[in-house]
Parts: sequence; C-alpha cells; structure tokens
Amino acid sequence: MNEFSNNPIEIDQLPKFEEVQLKGLHPKYINVLLFNFLLLFILIIGGFSTLFYFKKDAFSSTTWILILIGILVFIAGLIVFTKLSFNKKGYAFREHDTIYKSGLISETTTIIPFNRVQHVALHQGFISRKLGLASIELFTAGGSSSDLEIPGLLLADAQIIKNLVSQKINPPKKEEVIEPFSNESFLTAENE
Amino acid sequence: MNKSTDFSQPQRQSLPGILVMFANSLQKTVRALWPMLLLWLVKFDSLNKLVFFGSIAGVVIIIGVISYLQYLFFTFHIDEENNEFVIQKGVFNKTRITIQLHKIQQVNINQSLIQRLVGVHKLEIDTAGSDKKEASISAISHDLATILKERLINHSQQETIVDSEKVAIEESPTSFIKIGILSLVKIGFTSNYIKSFALIFVFFTTIIENLQQLNTDVINEDEVTNYLDALPNITSFMIVVGIFIVLILIVNLFRTILKYFDFTIQKSKQAIVLSYGLLSTKNTLLNPNKVQKIKITQNYFQKKLDVTTIGVHQASSDVEKVKEKDQIEVPGCSASERDIILNLLLNQLPEKGKKYLPNWRKFAVNTFFLLVVPVLISIVINYKLHFVTWNEWILYTSFFAIFAIVLIWFSFKNYKLFVSNDFIIKQNGAWDIDTIIIEPYKIQAIETQQFFWQKPADIGSVRLSTAGGTVNFSTTNYSKVKQLTNYWLYQVETSDKNWM
Repeated sequence: MNEFSNNPIEIDQLPKFEEVQLKGLHPKYINVLLFNFLLLFILIIGGFSTLFYFKKDAFSSTTWILILIGILVFIAGLIVFTKLSFNKKGYAFREHDTIYKSGLISETTTIIPFNRVQHVALHQGFISRKLGLASIELFTAGGSSSDLEIPGLLLADAQIIKNLVSQKINPPKKEEVIEPFSNESFLTAENE
Repeated sequence: MNKSTDFSQPQRQSLPGILVMFANSLQKTVRALWPMLLLWLVKFDSLNKLVFFGSIAGVVIIIGVISYLQYLFFTFHIDEENNEFVIQKGVFNKTRITIQLHKIQQVNINQSLIQRLVGVHKLEIDTAGSDKKEASISAISHDLATILKERLINHSQQETIVDSEKVAIEESPTSFIKIGILSLVKIGFTSNYIKSFALIFVFFTTIIENLQQLNTDVINEDEVTNYLDALPNITSFMIVVGIFIVLILIVNLFRTILKYFDFTIQKSKQAIVLSYGLLSTKNTLLNPNKVQKIKITQNYFQKKLDVTTIGVHQASSDVEKVKEKDQIEVPGCSASERDIILNLLLNQLPEKGKKYLPNWRKFAVNTFFLLVVPVLISIVINYKLHFVTWNEWILYTSFFAIFAIVLIWFSFKNYKLFVSNDFIIKQNGAWDIDTIIIEPYKIQAIETQQFFWQKPADIGSVRLSTAGGTVNFSTTNYSKVKQLTNYWLYQVETSDKNWM
C-alpha cells in the first residue's frame, strides 16, 4: 500500500491564481492590432471619399466636416482603447495550468488546467509572421467557449510553450502502460 | 456462428427496410411540397386529372426506384482487423463511413411509426469525435440490432478501465423506474407552456398565411371580429385567452404523452437504458461516466404534485449540439425516483454544502434593464405616437411593473450557488426553478470576470465550462469567487478520475 495521507485542505493555503505575476504580451504585438485598425480606417475613409467624390451634395459641407471629425475621433479612441487594453493582457504558465487575463472594461481571467487540454495549436498570421510573432491556442472538450488563445508571443517562446503543453498533455507513456496491467491482475485475483 | 450474426462481411439491411426508406423519402417530398399540394387540393376541380394523377404516380415511382437503389447500395460491417465499423452507401455519390470502435459513445435503437409497422428498428451510433459523421442504419431487425449493439459497445469499452462493474452485475437488465401515465399527465399540465405556445403560434400563422395566399375565405375574419366585438371588451379578451390556455394544455398533454409514453429506466451492465415513446419508440443508452451536467427542473405546481423533470447532459464535442440532442430528459419523476436516478448517475446524493448568494446589485441591475428601461421606452413611444391615453398607459404599466418586479424578485431570491467537496449546485429561475449539478473534477476551464466599476464593491462572476455545457454565477462576492476558483483548480489538477 502506498503511503496514504488525508489531511484537511485549508482553502486559504491553496496557491492563489490571482497573485501570480502575469507576463505581458510582446510589445511588437500592438503593431498587429494597429495594422488591423489601419485596414478599417482605410476602408471607412475610402468609402466616404468615394461618396464625397461622386455625390458631394449628399450632405451639407458642415455635415461632411462633422463626419470627418467623427471618424478621426472614433479611430483615435480605438487606438487609445487598444493601447490601454493591450497593457491589460497578460498570461502565465503554472505547473498545472495556464492563466490568461484580458479586458479593460470587463476584466476576464481564463484558467485551463493542463490535464483538461485536448490539443494545442500554434497560429501565425500574415503580419505576425513578418514580426516574428505567433499565438498559442489551447483546446478543451468544453467547446469553443472554453478554448483559450494567447496572442503576441515570440515565435521561439510559442514553440517552447507548445512543446511544454504537449508534454503535459501526453506524459511519457511508461506509467500508463503499467496501470491497466496491474488493474487486470487485481481483478482476476478477485474473481478467483 | 451463423450468418446473421457474422458482421465481418458487408451485409444489407433487412428487406422491409425498402419500405421504410420509401416512406421516409415520400415524407420528405411531401413535406417539401406541401404548400403546392394544398394548392392543388383546393383547386382540385379545375385541374387536369390525368396530369395530376400522372405526376403523382411518376413521383411515387421515382421515389420507389431511388429507395430500392439506396437499399441495394447500403451495406455495413465490422472490420475486425482495424477495429472499425464500416458503412458504405450512396447510389451515385459513394460514401464510406468508418468509425473506430473505441470511439463509439452511444448506440441507440429506435423505432418510428413506420418502422414499427414494418417490424424493423433503427440503429444509431454516436461518436465522441468532432467530425459529424454519425452513422445510422435505418432498417434492421431487433435481434440483429441487439447483437450488433452489444458487439459495438463491448468493443468500445474494452479500452476503458471500467470492467470491474461489468463483472459484478449480471446480464439481464433489471427494471428500475417506470414513469406512469399519471406523472406524464401532471408534467403535461404544468410545463413547457412557452414552447407549446410557440408551436401553436407558428402552426396558426403558417396556416393563415397559406390560406391568405390561396385567397379563400375558409375563416371569415369579419365574422369572427364582429362576434368578438359584440361582446364586452373584457369578455372577448377572456375568451381568446381561455381558448389559448386550453389549446396549450391540450397540446402539451399530447406532446408529453406521445413522446414519453411508457418511460422505462433500466440498468444493464454498466450503462443505463432509457426507452420511451408511444408512436415511435426510443431506446437510449446512458453512460454515467459520460454525464457532465444534470439539470433538475421544478415549478411551484410541480412541487405540489410531486413531479420533476431531470435533464442529463452528456459529453459532446459540439457546443451547439449540447443543447438539443445530447440532453436526455426524464419527465415526471417523484422525489424518491429523482433520488434513485441521481444515485444511479452520481453514486451518491448531491449534498448542498456551503451557500453563496448574489449581491443585491444583481436585483438592482435586473430591475433597471427589465423594468425601468422598458417603461422609459414606452413613455417615449407613447409620447411620440399616442398609442393609448395616459390613463390607460398608467394602468398597463402598473400591471407590467407588478408582474416584472415579482419575476425579478423571485429570480433573485432563487439565485444561489452551493459548493461542497464533491458537487457544485447552482439554482436559478423565477417560475421554473432549475437546479444544475456538476462535479468539480469534470470542469474543463474556469473563467472569472469583473467589470471595472465592480472593483470597489468586490463583485464579480465566474463561469465553469464542462464538456456538457457551462454554468454561470454572476454578481457575487469576487474574493469568494477567487477562493472557490483556487479550490476547484486544486480539485481538477489533483484528481486522477477520468472526466469521461
């Protein structure tokens, strides 16, 4: 028989996820986010300028100026918001789980234990590739709502993390092979 | 081993299966074309009879030929070498479905009305994979189906380590619970009002729409309106409401009895077998290990009548699918039957443990969004458009306000979370009170969430994801949420129990 202990668990003594020092995303990642907004910006400006070019009298000139100011304010707000929320994003890998925190208005912390991860994926978008960044996605059996994507990692880091998690999910097989055997012999012994 | 139980060779379905396929295709065609058929029936006199019956006969013959070909090209077998179950089908587009035996989760044997008439059964195979190629054999004799099911299940369970129970419990399934017609009547009268209302509503609107398209006056609208107008306002209102209530009750009753007639729960080997249905019998296998979430629903009437509904969510890879298909419902069990079922699924009765309540702000926020905002909107609309006089507006609004505040209050009052060592129990609902039970080691991911304005008040929410759906508990003490999260993480990370 193995050494067996059954001490009461002090909930306050458990490791606290909220006290873990989170690591921020790579500073370059903000360029990826800003580039996405640049696309949006070009699209909006492009749309309104074609309208302006072909149908100038759709709005009065003051309205046109207001629209321009509105777009600029909207974009500026988005950029400020992105910067602030970028600073809020952070991740950590503990021995047994992953923590990812994000959100400016609504602060969300997602925690996935490694022994519930089904598989890991490494993604690299077009711009991320240019910047040498990658993102890691952890999939669980809980469906898309409980999958976790950590963006803005250096490619080298992402690969290390991916290997680490893969190892945690599928630990070296040795122990697993032995277990069912011992289990079976136990069963047959009982039957006899 | 005789020929009929040898599954290593590809074999066809049983011959009467052609009839089943024929009926299915016919049903599909009729369903697709029913507005047209209705149109034809109405204009029957003005149609060329020869063309009419000719085209019908043509369609029937085509469906017949297709059904025969489908039958001819549909084969299934077990590939012993690769441990796979293989189905081949398709007349022009050949499809080959292979399912690895150890991935098979559930094998169901069902029987629809047509299949019952012909004397065959339908065998459905559920897999755990994310790919949606679920296989089904639509016509197979009962004996063959049972043998095949045993083979598939036994194969699939060789890998898991749950053999110990198999040895202990003998072959013949023992009957556990039978839900009588009286319980079904009770459930039928006390639940699913909204669903039945929606059904009736959809039914009537489609019929009326179709009738309007046909330009017929089967129902003389003026007559009905005149008749109702002749009565005092309140009385006509009462009549309409009364008719609706009676209709809903009748529809509810019929739906419940049709669906759940002769509901039997049996325990065989390591799985639980549920069978039910009046016209089409369903036979579902439930594996307690795969149960992720249990939902017990009861409202005030049902409490007085001692009936509850239990919904069991099993592990599923597809979140959308979780809601409808993978929930297995046990309608109308009494308190003692409920305890037996819970014992069967969880091996013990869930204890409630420590209680957590929401913050009073939840009540305030709900009141604001569900009562104050709608009232303000109605003021604005009425101010602009003058739908009703302000006196009437006060009358209606106070009705609405009382109704809303009572609902909000009860849903706040019933919103509770209980945490014990082995269970997490969440209770919510204003009228139908749901009690959701999950086991901590079946949690897949935990998410805590807090709005920035909630920080000073130390309020936040938590969401637990399981493979059978999520559980939310919002606007409660955030420090306690964090403490619980740490505790649940500890439980998940130290548990070596298989969550599935």
